[in-house]
Amino acid sequence: MIKYRESKISAHHNYLVNDMLTPGFVVGEPDKQGGFYFLADKVLAGESMPRISCRLLEEGSGNLLVELNWNRIQSNPKACIHQSIPGGFQILLSSGNVLLEVQTQAFANGYLTRIKARLYDEKGFLRIEPLGDSIKVHDAEKPVLDSPFSFSP
Amino acid sequence: MSKSFGDVWIFGDYRDYFQNRITLQLIAKGKDLAEMLNTGTTVVLLGEQVHQYAMEYVAHGANTVMVAEHPKLKEYEVETYTTLLSQWVKSYRPEIFIAGATSFGREFFPRLAKRLRTGLSADCVDLEVDPKSLLLVQTTPAFGGELLAEVVTPDRRPQMATVHPGVFRELPHNSEAVGRIIYPDVDVFPEPRVKVIRSRPPIKGKVSLEDASVVIAGGMGLRSKEQFELLYELAELLEGEVGATRPAILSGWADEERLLGQTGKSVKAKLVISIGTSGALQFTTGIQGAETVIAINRDPDAPVFRIVDLGLVADAAAVLPILIETLRRRL
Ligand SMILES: Cc1cc2nc3c(=O)[nH]c(=O)nc-3n(C[C@H](O)[C@H](O)[C@H](O)COP(=O)(O)OP(=O)(O)OC[C@H]3O[C@@H](n4cnc5c(N)ncnc54)[C@H](O)[C@@H]3O)c2cc1C
Repeated sequence: MIKYRESKISAHHNYLVNDMLTPGFVVGEPDKQGGFYFLADKVLAGESMPRISCRLLEEGSGNLLVELNWNRIQSNPKACIHQSIPGGFQILLSSGNVLLEVQTQAFANGYLTRIKARLYDEKGFLRIEPLGDSIKVHDAEKPVLDSPFSFSP
Repeated sequence: MSKSFGDVWIFGDYRDYFQNRITLQLIAKGKDLAEMLNTGTTVVLLGEQVHQYAMEYVAHGANTVMVAEHPKLKEYEVETYTTLLSQWVKSYRPEIFIAGATSFGREFFPRLAKRLRTGLSADCVDLEVDPKSLLLVQTTPAFGGELLAEVVTPDRRPQMATVHPGVFRELPHNSEAVGRIIYPDVDVFPEPRVKVIRSRPPIKGKVSLEDASVVIAGGMGLRSKEQFELLYELAELLEGEVGATRPAILSGWADEERLLGQTGKSVKAKLVISIGTSGALQFTTGIQGAETVIAINRDPDAPVFRIVDLGLVADAAAVLPILIETLRRRL
C-alpha cells in the first residue's frame, strides 16, 4: 500500500500542522507546573477564533517567557507584547522579534489557522519549528484533538 | 463470514465549487451505497490549497478525505490525474468509484477505467446497490435515450460510473462533523505530454437556472416564439427563470444557456412548471431534482404526467394568459 500520513479533520475549524489539517493538538504537558506546553484546542462550531493556550520558555535557560490562556496573556515575566494582525495576533519578545504568530483564514463555511513559531521545551529540545507557511511539531503528546482539551482540576 | 468491501470513492470536483454541487450530491448518494455495503465514503481530492474543500466534504457527510496537495496538481491535467488515481485505486482498492459527468469526469474517468481494466457507465441518472448481489446497479440512458439501461460490473473493480449533475440531493452542511484525512505520499508525477499554457473560465451569461427557486420550462407545445415569450412574464411574476427543451431551443425560441436536461442544465428548484413538454427522459433528467413539478399538456397520456406532482390537461395557449392575469391580480 502507498505510504500515507493521517489525521482527523473538523468541518468547522482546523490548524495546519506538519502539512496536515487537524482539529487540535497538544505538545508538552499542559498540566505539568512550569513546563513547556502548546495547546491548539478544538474550536467549536459557531466560534471563529482559534484557542491557543501555551507556556513558552526561553531557549537555553528554560525560563518562562510568557503564558497564554485562550489567546490572552496570563503571565508575562519577560514583558512580551501581544499585537493584533489581520486575522490573528503575534506575540513579540521585548526585543521586537516575533515569538509566535497565529493567523486564521476564513472560508465560506469554515476556518483554517496557521501558526508560526520556533519553540523549545525546558530540556532545550526543539518542539515546534516553521514549515512552509505553518509549523512542524516534534513528539506531540496529542497530535490530534477531536474534542476540547480538559485540564486536570 | 460476510464479505468485506473497500470504500465508496467519490472524485472531488471542486472547480466552480459554489455553483457546481456535484461532489456533494455524490457524497450523499455514496453514503447510501456505502451503508448497503457496510463500508465508508472517501472523497479523493487533488490540487493545491484545497483545505476548504476537504472541510466542506466532511461537513456534507464524507467519512474520509484523501488528499494530494502539490503545486503540480494546481491545474487539472488529465495524464497526471489518471496516473495518480490509478496508483491510489490499485493500492487502496475501493469497491465503487464515482465522479460527476462534468467536463473533468467525462474526460479522465474513461481513461482511468481503461487503465484499471474495469467498466464505466457514463452519465448515470441513478445508482443503487442490489440487495441480493451487492453489485452496483448503474442506470444510464441508452440507445439515444430511448431506453434506460441497468448496468452492472460483476467481476472487475472498482465499479465505476459518472453521474449526471443534479440527480441526487446533497446533505445539509454540518459544522460539527469530524472526519478522517489521509495524505498518501505523492512524489512521482508523469511528465505530461500536454502543457497548459493558460486557462480561462468561460464567459457566462446572466441566466442562473441552477440557483433559481422557480423554473418555468417550455417545450414545443407552446407552438411559437410569441407564445414562448409569455413564459418570461410568468417567470417574472414568480421571481423565477425560464428553461427550455432542446427542440424549443433549436426552434430559436430561447438561447442554449436555457437548455434543460441530459445535455443541458439540471435544476434543484422548489417549483418547476413545465408547459407544453412531452416529458422525454432526456428532458426530465434536468427537472427531477426539483421539489415540486407541475405540468401543463393538452395530451392526458403525455409521459410528463408520470413524473409530476400536479398535472393540468389543458391547452397552453388558453391557460397561460389566464395564469399570468390571475397572478398579476393576486401578487
Ligand atoms: C442523445 C439525446 C440527448 C437529448 N438531450 C436533450 C436535452 O438535454 N434536453 C431536451 O429537452 N431534450 C433532449 N433530447 C430530445 C428529447 O428526446 C425530446 O425530443 C425533447 O425533450 C422533446 O421536447 P418537447 O417536449 O419540447 O417536444 P415534444 O416531444 O414535441 O412535445 C411537445 C408536447 O407538447 C404538447 N402540446 C402540443 N400542443 C400543446 C398545447 N397547445 N398545449 C399544451 N401542450 C401541448 C404535446 O402533447 C407534447 O406532449 C435529447 C435527445 C437525444 C437523442
